[in-house]
Amino acid sequence: MGYDDLMTATAAMGLLIIVLLVAATAPLWVAVTTSFAAVLAFNFFFLPPVGTLTIADPQNWTALFALLVVSLVASNLSAVARARTREAEGRRDSLARLFDLSRDILLITDSQEANASLAGFISRRFDFDYVAICVPQGSEWLVFEAGPLRLTLDPAQLSAVYRQVEGGQQPSAGPPEVRFVPLRLGARPIGLLAAAGRPIEDATLDAVAGLTAIAIERAQFLDERKAADLARQSEALKSALLASLGHDLRTPLTAIKVAASNLQASWPDEQERRAQSDLILTEVDRLTRLFQNILEMARIDAGAITQDTRWVSPSEIIEAARSRVEPSLRGRVVQVQADADRLVKIDPRLTAAALSQLLENAAQYSPAGSAIEVHATVGADGLTIAVRDRGPGIPEADLPHVFERFYRGANVRDRRSGTGMGLAIARGVLAIERGRIAAENCSDGGVRFTIGVPAEVK
Amino acid sequence: MNRTARILLVDDDVSIQRAVAPLLRSRGYHVDVVSTGVEAVTAVAGGGLDLIVLDLGLPDLEGAEVCRQMRAHTRAPIVILSARSGEAEKVAALDIGADDYVTKPFGPEELLARIRVALRRVFEAEAPEVERVQVGDIIIDFARHRVVRADEEVRLTPKEFELLALLARNADRVLTHRAILKAIWGPNAVDQPEHLWVLMGQLRKKIEPDPGTPRYLLSEPWVGYRFVSNPD
Repeated sequence: MGYDDLMTATAAMGLLIIVLLVAATAPLWVAVTTSFAAVLAFNFFFLPPVGTLTIADPQNWTALFALLVVSLVASNLSAVARARTREAEGRRDSLARLFDLSRDILLITDSQEANASLAGFISRRFDFDYVAICVPQGSEWLVFEAGPLRLTLDPAQLSAVYRQVEGGQQPSAGPPEVRFVPLRLGARPIGLLAAAGRPIEDATLDAVAGLTAIAIERAQFLDERKAADLARQSEALKSALLASLGHDLRTPLTAIKVAASNLQASWPDEQERRAQSDLILTEVDRLTRLFQNILEMARIDAGAITQDTRWVSPSEIIEAARSRVEPSLRGRVVQVQADADRLVKIDPRLTAAALSQLLENAAQYSPAGSAIEVHATVGADGLTIAVRDRGPGIPEADLPHVFERFYRGANVRDRRSGTGMGLAIARGVLAIERGRIAAENCSDGGVRFTIGVPAEVK
Repeated sequence: MNRTARILLVDDDVSIQRAVAPLLRSRGYHVDVVSTGVEAVTAVAGGGLDLIVLDLGLPDLEGAEVCRQMRAHTRAPIVILSARSGEAEKVAALDIGADDYVTKPFGPEELLARIRVALRRVFEAEAPEVERVQVGDIIIDFARHRVVRADEEVRLTPKEFELLALLARNADRVLTHRAILKAIWGPNAVDQPEHLWVLMGQLRKKIEPDPGTPRYLLSEPWVGYRFVSNPD
């Protein structure tokens, strides 16, 4: 082998490297073109007679052919490898998007919005211009759309596609570029997913549809569970209300019934008649108060109470609260201490309603004749009123629950009359004012309830 | 009635006191009023009471506990005032020794009737024990284990007779299911009321003119049975 031959071989190697480099980075057709260009250049520049495309030595045909074959095979291999990589990347990308989507789905808690937000999530995660979740409802279609593109899906067409799906066929394409894929739970179709605006693998689209179907089912589950929870709660409330009413209505009703019969009888003298009719009036007041509480609670529940603020002095509120529950406070000393020269801007009606419940509560659960202290202070951020009684206190175990509706402490349940509504009403009313309420046992006996209402002060 | 009966009214609710006490006084009873279980037990321990009207749901003591403590001092009948939500407490009080109950809201006549019946038992108990009783057209001969209805002998099984005798000896008094089960089948049977239902069914078929609407052997729903000594 002479020097020229060595040159030629080196040149061929050099050209092959160029072809390989191109093949590694450029698409297949560029690599193939480069391969042919390299063969031509090899022939032209290096194979004798140099400077022409003719080949004198038949042996050089072999060299030329070998270069061509190696170049083409290398280009092809490299293209296949890169296609694989791209495919893997694409798959990883789809997986990442599907994962994000499934996370979105898990975060859907409001079943009302589930389908609409689901369409939004799919369009965002997969960059679709248009996504629609279509659920058949009788002969109509519920369509939840998302994405920047506005399309109108023809219900007749949706029904046609859906029939194909139900028949087990592949759905045909919809309007230009819109792809339909069935939403299935197990084998049962529950709707269609329409997507447009981005090419996507069939397998990925199927996976999206699978996730979507699971999400829809999950939302239905959530819905059912919420409904069941609500039903259970309102059932529990109802029976608590009935039990409490059963208990609290019977005593006044008995007193009224017996007193009214006494009035009808001939034995009572004038003084006794007066006493019996007083008794009836008192008990009717008690029942009225009970019904007021029930109504108040219903109005709080219905959100029918609105806040109406104005400038008032704390002592006005205390006066209003006292007059609301005057019969319950009869015979009790209420010691009031209030900032006299300050004004707060609050709803006096609501605050007095809450305070009156605390006063009544204090009167009910402390010994007859014992004092009730009311202490009102105006701070920079609002009004604070503390009500303190000299009763037996609240057992620690009951403290966290005293504001729950119909909750009655173990030491007073079935003992004292009381509905378990008062403190719940106080809390409900205060919540409208964004106020708070707390209870604590005092170290020297009795309970202190504190209410705080945020307000402007001056 | 040979003397003025002394009644203790135990109720923490002032309006019940103010309605019921004058009513009882108007019928010639002597009435003492207390508001707590402790006061009630003290008053009973003092003696001299013929009957106690006890409200369940006192501020200081459970109704059954009040009954138990009272029974340590007196055999005077106890008539319970109860709200329906206190069903379990009512049965517990009857088990321990209360005699009868009135459910709120009650009318005055209902309460007075229960008191009259309970007091009659007190005054009859002061008489020597009877060998036989006649109620309506039924004659029960305790000594000879015989029952005659409308001049015809009624054939009762030993258990049936035992049940009838138990109720008749405690005529006009509510006996709870548990108390009856315990007396007839023993303490192990107190949680098997089906024995009692079956036996009561058989007994009513033999004793009652119309077993579907009993005159003598009355059910106190969820509580027990009562033998009525003067069916109207």
